[in-house]
Amino acid sequence: MHQDNRIKFMFLLPAALWVLGFTIFPLIYGLRLSLFNVKIGSPDEFIGLGNFLHFFKDPYALNSTIITIIFVVCGVTVEMILGMLFALLFNRPMPGRGVLRTLMTMPLFATPIAVGFLFFTIFYEEGGLVNGILHLKIPWLSNPHWALVSVIAVDIWQWTPFCFLVFLASLQGIPDDYYDAAAIETKSQWQIFRYITFPVIQPTIILVLLLRITEAFKVFDIPYTLTTGGPGTATQVLTMFAYRVGFRFFNFGYSSAISFILFIIVMVIIMTLFKRIRQTYQ
Amino acid sequence: MAMSFVGRIKRRKISLWGYFILALVVAGITFLPFYWAISLSIRNPIEAFTVAGLAVPFVQYKPTLNNWKTELATGETQKALFNSTIIAVCTALAVLVLGTPAAYAIARFRFKRPTNQDITVWFLSQRVLPPIATAIPFFLIIRFLGLLDTRTALIMVNTTFNLPFVVVIMRQAFIDLPIELEEAALVDGANYLRIFWKISLRLAAPSLAAAVLIIVAFTWNEFLFALMISGVKTTVIPVLMAGAVDTRGIQFWFVAVRTLIAMSPPVLIALLAQRYMVRGLTFGAVKG
Repeated sequence: MHQDNRIKFMFLLPAALWVLGFTIFPLIYGLRLSLFNVKIGSPDEFIGLGNFLHFFKDPYALNSTIITIIFVVCGVTVEMILGMLFALLFNRPMPGRGVLRTLMTMPLFATPIAVGFLFFTIFYEEGGLVNGILHLKIPWLSNPHWALVSVIAVDIWQWTPFCFLVFLASLQGIPDDYYDAAAIETKSQWQIFRYITFPVIQPTIILVLLLRITEAFKVFDIPYTLTTGGPGTATQVLTMFAYRVGFRFFNFGYSSAISFILFIIVMVIIMTLFKRIRQTYQ
Repeated sequence: MAMSFVGRIKRRKISLWGYFILALVVAGITFLPFYWAISLSIRNPIEAFTVAGLAVPFVQYKPTLNNWKTELATGETQKALFNSTIIAVCTALAVLVLGTPAAYAIARFRFKRPTNQDITVWFLSQRVLPPIATAIPFFLIIRFLGLLDTRTALIMVNTTFNLPFVVVIMRQAFIDLPIELEEAALVDGANYLRIFWKISLRLAAPSLAAAVLIIVAFTWNEFLFALMISGVKTTVIPVLMAGAVDTRGIQFWFVAVRTLIAMSPPVLIALLAQRYMVRGLTFGAVKG
C-alpha cells in the first residue's frame, strides 16, 4: 500500500461517478417508473404498487417466471455437471489435449444473436442438422415443450465450456501430494473425488454456480432469435417479457416493475447462496 | 500431476485410448455447430435443404463462395461491420481511461470509509443487475439527451456495462505487480500520477491487452441495448442480423454467412485471450 494521499480520490472518482450516473441513477429512475402508469403523450399517473400487484395477477407474468426458473435450473445444472465431467476427462494426459481444449473455448464468446440464428438452422425440422443426423422428426421449434428444450440446449452448448475451463483450471491447481496421500488410503476414484478433489475445489464450484445463475437469469438474445419467445409464449423468459411490455406495448411502468421483480429474484437467490457459503466455512 | 495418479491405477492403454476418444467426441460436438455454419455458408441455395445429414462439402455437394461475395458486397453489412468495430474499440478505450485509475487506487491506496473491499464489491455488484432493469430508464435518458441512433450512445451504454469488469480485473493485476519498483520511484521524487503512467500501466500491459480484447468481444456481442438505441445510421452486427430476418425471411445460406461474420471476431478473441479467459470470466477469483 502507498501512503495516504488525496490523489487516490482523483483516481477513483471518474469511474465511481460514471457508475452513479449511468447505473445507480437509471436504477432509481426505473424504480420511480415502476410506481407510475406511464403513457406516452399524457402525464405519468402515480399508482403506487399497482404495477407490482398486476404482475401477480397476470397469467403471462406467471408463465414467464416459471419458464425462466425452469430455464435457469435445468440449464445451469446440466452445465455444472457436464463442465465437471469434461474437466475431469481433460485433466488426464492425452495426445492433442491443448488443441481439444482450444476447440472447447470457441463457443464462449460466439455472438449470442448469431448463435440463436445458427441453432435455428440446426434445429430446423426439415433438413436441419440434428434431425438430419439422428434421422428423427422432432418438432424442436414448433412444439412448446421442445422449444424450451432447444433454448436450454443452446445455453448448455454455449456455457458448459465456461464451467469446464474454470473447473479444469482449479483441478490443475491441486498439488500431486494430495493424490499421493489419498492413494495410500483408497483405490476408489469416486472416494478420491468425494474426499480430496471436491472439498478443494468447492469454493470454485460455488463461484461458478453464482456467476452462471446471475447470467442465466439475464438471458434474452437466444430466445429472441431462436424462438422469438414462442411458439406462443412458451419460451418468453422474463427479460423478454419485460422488453415486449416496454418496447412493443410501451407500458414503461409495468415493464420496469417486471424488471425489478427479476432483479429481486436474482438478489434473493444470491443472498441465500452466499449465506450457504459462509456456513460451510464456519 | 493429478492424472499421473489415476494413470498409475489404470495402466491399461485401452482405457487411455477410451478417454481420448471420449474427449475427441466432446470437442467434436462442441465444434459441430461451427462446422455446420461453414458447410451451410458455402452451399448453393437450392442445396440448403436437400443435402442430408452432416453435409460434407465436395462429397455431398459442390461448395461455392457466392453467398460470401454477395453478403460482403452489401452496403448494409459493411456499414454494420464498421459501426460495430468503431463502437467496440471506443468502448474499450473509454473503459480503460475510466477504469484503470480506479483499479489502481483500490489496489494501491487504503480507503477507510467505504473500505477497499466495499468499493470492489460495489463495482462487482453492478454485474448482478439484470440489464433490463436499467433498459427503459437508459432509453429515456438517451432520448432526453437527443442521442438515440448515435454511436456515442452505444459507446456510453457499453462503457457502463464493462466498467465494473475492468475495475475488478485490473485491481487484481495491479495487486499482483511488485510494489518495490513504485516505492523506489517515489524515493527518487516521482509523483503518483507519473508512477501510475510510467511504471504500473506498463508492467500491467499484458492484463491490459487481455482486458481490451474481452471488452471488444462483449461490446461486439451486446444486443439488448443496441436493439433499443441504434437506428438506421448506427446499425451494429447483431441488430443487422435480427432485422434482416424480419424483412427477408430466413434464408439459411445467408444466415450462415452472417453468423460466421458476426462470430469470427469474438471467437478469435476467445482463442487469443485463452490464457486470461478463466481469470477474466471469474473476475480474477480463479487464476487460469
